[in-house]
Amino acid sequence: MKGAERIEIDRRYCKGCLLCQYVCEFDVFEPGQERSALDYLMPRVAKIENCRVCGLCETHCPDMVLTVVANTEGKENP
Amino acid sequence: MNPLGEKYLRKSFLPFLFCPGCGDGMIVQSFLQAVDDLGVADDLAMAAGIGCSAWIPVYMHFDVFKGLHGRAIPAAIGLKASRPSRKVVVFTGDGDGLAIGGLHLIHAARRNIDMTVVIVNNQIYAMTGGQVAPSTGVGSRTQTTPYGNLEKPLDGCKIAIASGATMVSRWSTAHTRQLTRTFKKALNHKGFSFVEVLSQCPVQTGRYILGSGSPQFNLQWLKDNCVAVKDPSQWGEIEAQGKIPVGDILQIEKPEFMEEVQRMNQKVKEEAQAKGGDR
Ligand SMILES: Cc1ncc(C[n+]2csc(CCOP(=O)(O)OP(=O)(O)O)c2C)c(N)n1
Ligand code: SF4
Ligand code: SF4
Ligand SMILES: [Mg+2]
Repeated sequence: MKGAERIEIDRRYCKGCLLCQYVCEFDVFEPGQERSALDYLMPRVAKIENCRVCGLCETHCPDMVLTVVANTEGKENP
Repeated sequence: MNPLGEKYLRKSFLPFLFCPGCGDGMIVQSFLQAVDDLGVADDLAMAAGIGCSAWIPVYMHFDVFKGLHGRAIPAAIGLKASRPSRKVVVFTGDGDGLAIGGLHLIHAARRNIDMTVVIVNNQIYAMTGGQVAPSTGVGSRTQTTPYGNLEKPLDGCKIAIASGATMVSRWSTAHTRQLTRTFKKALNHKGFSFVEVLSQCPVQTGRYILGSGSPQFNLQWLKDNCVAVKDPSQWGEIEAQGKIPVGDILQIEKPEFMEEVQRMNQKVKEEAQAKGGDR
C-alpha cells in the first residue's frame, strides 16, 4: 500500500492552525509542544504509518508549510 | 514550504499576512496548482485592490498590480488592452468586488472582456475589522450591524450571469481540488470568467457572525453549508433549503471585447485605405 516516508512541516511559517489534523482522516497529526519561528504551537506527526498520501493536509494548509513525502520503496517495477 | 510554494511564492514577502487558519492561503495554493498544471506562469498578469483577499496575488511571483480599493478590474482591462496575449486575473473581495467595485464587475462582464475575476467571499469586510458587506446574510451581527443585518445579500454569481459573463462558478475553501479544476477552466476560457470562492475568515466572520473563531469550526461550516450540484437548475432548490449551492454554473461562447475592437480597427483601416486615406 502507498505510504509516506515523512511529512515535513516548515517551522519558519507554520501558524499552528491545526487544520491538517482536522482534515486528515487517519489521525496522522496531533497537537505538538514545539513552537514555530512565528511562536505558534505546531502540529506533530504522530502516526506516520497511518498516512495514505492523499494530500488533503497539504492542499488545506493555509500557509503551504506541509510536504507529504511518499514512500518510494518497493512501489513500482516489481 | 511545500514544492509548489518553493517554485512560485515571493519568498521575501513571507509569511502570508493572513491570520492562522484563514482560507485565503488555501486559495493561493489552489490557484498555484492550476497555474503549475497548465504551465502558464509566464503568461499571467494579475491585479488586485484592497482587503485581506487582495493580498492573494501579491505572494505569487508573477506580474501583479496592486491598486486602489475596488479598482482592480479597470486596471486589469488596461492590462488586457495593452498585452492581449496575457492571461489577466483579478483577485477581489466581496467588499472590493461587490460594494465599492461593483459597477466595474457588471461592465466588464457585460463586455465579455477576456479575464478571470476571482471573488473571495468571506461575507464581511475582514481587513478593516468586520463591517457589514453586501454579501452579509440577513440577521448577521457585525461591527456595523450590532443588532443584526437588515439588508438582503447580493449574489455575485447571479450578478455576473445577468451582466453577461460567459463562465461562472462557485466553490469554497472546503473544495480545494474542485477549485483548482475550475481555475484551470477559467484560465483557458476565452471571455469573462467569474469564480466565487467562499472562504473562511475565523477572526471576523467566525467570531462575529458564525459564533466561533476556530479555523476548524469555520471550515466545517463551509462543508456543512455548501452543497455541490452538477445541474445548475437545482440551485434554487438548494437555496430554498437555506444552503449554498456550489459548482460550475455556466460556460458559453460569445464574442470577446478586445478581439472585436481589433477587428473593428482593422475594418476601419481597410475602408480608409480603400478611399485613399492613410487610416
Ligand atoms: C477608497 C477606500 N475606501 C475604504 C477603504 C477601507 N477598506 C479597506 S479594505 C476594505 C474592505 C475589504 O473587504 P473585502 O473586499 O471583503 O476584503 P476582505 O478583507 O474581506 O478579504 C475597506 C472598506 C479603502 N482602503 N479605500
Ligand atoms: S496525506 Fe492524507 S493521510 Fe497523510 S497525513 Fe495528510 S491528510 Fe493524513
Ligand atoms: S481577518 Fe479574516 S480574512 Fe483577513 S486574514 Fe484574518 S482570517 Fe483571513
Ligand atoms: Mg470580505
